[in-house]
Amino acid sequence: MPETLWAAYTPDDQQPWDLKRAVHLHRRAAFAGTWDELHRDLKDGPEKAVSRLLNGTANLHAAKEFDKTSTLLFDAAVTQGEIGRLKAGWFYRFLLGPHPLHEKLTLLWHDHFATANGKVDDPGLMRRQNETLRTHAAGKFAPLLNAAVREPATLLYLDAQTNRKGHANENLARELMELFTVGVGHYTEADVKEAARALTGWSVDDGQFVELAERHDIGEKTVLGAKAKFDGAQLVDLLLKQPATADRLVKKLVRQFFSDTGVSADAAKQLADGLRERELDVGWAVETILKSRLFFADANLRNRVLMPVEYVVGSARVLELFDPAPSTLAMADWSARMGQDVFDPPNVGGWPTGKKWVHSRSLIARANYATALVTGPDSGRTVAYDPAGQAKRHGFGATPADVLTYHHRLLFGTDPPADTRNRLEPLPLPKLTTALLASPEAQLG
Amino acid sequence: MLTRRSFLQSSSLVALSATVPLFVSRSVRAAAPDRDARVLVVVEMDGGNDALNTVVPHADAEYARLRPKLKLDPKRLVKVTDAVGLHPALRPLDKLLSDGRLAVLPGVGYPNPNRSHFESMAMWHTARFDEAELRGYGWLGRAMDPSAGNLFSVGGEVSPALRGRRSSAVAFKRIEEVLLTDTTAAKASVGAESADDLLAYVRRQATDAHAAADKLAKLTGDKTSPSYPQTELGERLKIVAKLLKAGVGARVFYTQQSGYDTHSQQAFTHATLLGEFAAAVAAFFADLKASKLDERVTLMSFSEFGRTIKENGSAGTDHGTAGAGFVCGPTVAGGLVGSLPNLTDLDKGEPKMTTDFRRVYHALTADWMGLPPDPAADKLDPLPLFKA
Repeated sequence: MPETLWAAYTPDDQQPWDLKRAVHLHRRAAFAGTWDELHRDLKDGPEKAVSRLLNGTANLHAAKEFDKTSTLLFDAAVTQGEIGRLKAGWFYRFLLGPHPLHEKLTLLWHDHFATANGKVDDPGLMRRQNETLRTHAAGKFAPLLNAAVREPATLLYLDAQTNRKGHANENLARELMELFTVGVGHYTEADVKEAARALTGWSVDDGQFVELAERHDIGEKTVLGAKAKFDGAQLVDLLLKQPATADRLVKKLVRQFFSDTGVSADAAKQLADGLRERELDVGWAVETILKSRLFFADANLRNRVLMPVEYVVGSARVLELFDPAPSTLAMADWSARMGQDVFDPPNVGGWPTGKKWVHSRSLIARANYATALVTGPDSGRTVAYDPAGQAKRHGFGATPADVLTYHHRLLFGTDPPADTRNRLEPLPLPKLTTALLASPEAQLG
Repeated sequence: MLTRRSFLQSSSLVALSATVPLFVSRSVRAAAPDRDARVLVVVEMDGGNDALNTVVPHADAEYARLRPKLKLDPKRLVKVTDAVGLHPALRPLDKLLSDGRLAVLPGVGYPNPNRSHFESMAMWHTARFDEAELRGYGWLGRAMDPSAGNLFSVGGEVSPALRGRRSSAVAFKRIEEVLLTDTTAAKASVGAESADDLLAYVRRQATDAHAAADKLAKLTGDKTSPSYPQTELGERLKIVAKLLKAGVGARVFYTQQSGYDTHSQQAFTHATLLGEFAAAVAAFFADLKASKLDERVTLMSFSEFGRTIKENGSAGTDHGTAGAGFVCGPTVAGGLVGSLPNLTDLDKGEPKMTTDFRRVYHALTADWMGLPPDPAADKLDPLPLFKA
């Protein structure tokens, strides 16, 4: 056994526990930290900071009666058949939920098991799938996969109901292999055809998963070299046992907690080995990542483009826009304009990552959102953000230099360089704040 | 052979992307940021456009017999051939027709026509006829899959025709979505070039975004630009033109015009709708021509079905079968393409289609866009829509 590349992080001269790293942790594992959260964690040390995120006690600004309100919001969306309200309901959870890491993992699985209401056309089924993903978000992958592929929304999105004996529709089988488990290169076209036969009979009736025996092909199938009278459940089991499934999960997690460049092949392999030894325990992998020295390495800081949801929610959080909060309907809409329309991913592959988030339409939307948060109305707030007041509350003065320093530390954990000072300090304070929020630097984290 | 496309794909995307403002993400596999790439604009006429009063066989005595109240005066029609004319409300298309840039497609349909709006539209969207596949990928989404390209839906929600497995459809509602609300702050936000790769990339993209927004803001404020009719379709096509002028990185635009379900007293409504359609399309191409973009753009219109050839008791028409389409662009074989349905050789009371719409799709994707044809329909020859 080689030396573990996932050794725990303990602060030292090379990697001190500083504001920069506290900002990093909250950007990657939550939806950005507020001034108080960052300084609480700075004082208590990384171990406690990570533990709080893992056990859902990190958010100092969680809504009172959150469970009740979030349930009501989802209920109302479903009763009214309004997908827009369901989207807003999820932004309520992102912004005001007590467990941002868990919510982030739920979004990760929504991307992994990408399903669009544009096709499913049933907010009730989308909500149901969302709750299933949340239930299993930080557990072992087998229950998550088994539940996710049996979700009516997943099945309808992938045309499972049309896949029947003698009349195969390969959609579900293909995505189950290519996207949900082993990934390209680990199966053949013949495997897809055979897997589709195994899945015949899986369907949706009255909003529920059903297995229709009369549509199921009971014959023998050969999938990935194994020969048996596979049914859907046995096919899923077979795929869970493939070593490549753990590799694919590692890729997914690395994309979330590191950048597109990722980690070394050796580190990825060690993490995948660990997953395979632990029945694909995603919670273990997340904990291992967040506690690692690798995660806090200089090379892993500020090298990832924020997803629109992260940018939208994170920007509102760092400005402490909680009372009144921005309209969650508006937040969902802004995120969609930036390219991330939750409950409506662009295709089965989910959303792009990294540089692909950076294009004119998205950057214009991000800049306009920054303006909207600071000025108020276009984000659904009746009051403007008060940059000097906020700086003052946290012990800063009201000069442009002070206000800039406060916000720069808040966003990046560092003091503003001379170039930034020269460009932004001459601006009125609201524009200064807007410019900082809209800056290319603030798209990374 | 090194084609322009393969050259562009193999050359440095990073170098090119710094100079071309793009509104959508693109995978590296996708076609290069080729501003000269040909574009397809689709206008969906929702509700079932009355084909018989759109492309009118006035010389056929049967026409007047079928349409005692709704028949159009032959003298007022826009002449296509001696026997065939377009609805008078389509007069704004006359110039495109006489320039040989408008193809008129009568009798476009598919085997075993379905008269449900929903089912028939799903068939047009997917180019599939099996119930099982009607909720699957769309014909345009599939066509753009190999390049993981982008498709823009302008105005409404993303059409099922744009659904792809790897391509991405974007719903685009208002031009304000790509204009900056605070230009000063946005521009101040971008620092000088840095060594940091990712940050430098975002800075370049931000600079491009601001340039594109400036350009669009100028286009929006420009009172000298060709005027569009103040209609929904006019506004939508105006947005498409602006996006094209600003250098958008999408090759497919899709929009809708609704209201064609004219079951009663249809004469006025139908004339209004066709008039709006024609005026918007004429303005769109005039605008493109003024910006020298007209050589890059082809527009296609279709409806989920035509209407009953026989008018009903309330001076309207009911759901029919094959419809009428238009294809407008720089290289189309202008005039009538395909033959008119025979009004006496009927199947369940309606004429038989003369052109399978998959042949139209085949021509548009392969001959215009240069994309591989739909494997499920490649045995159907492309309609000779374009000049050789």
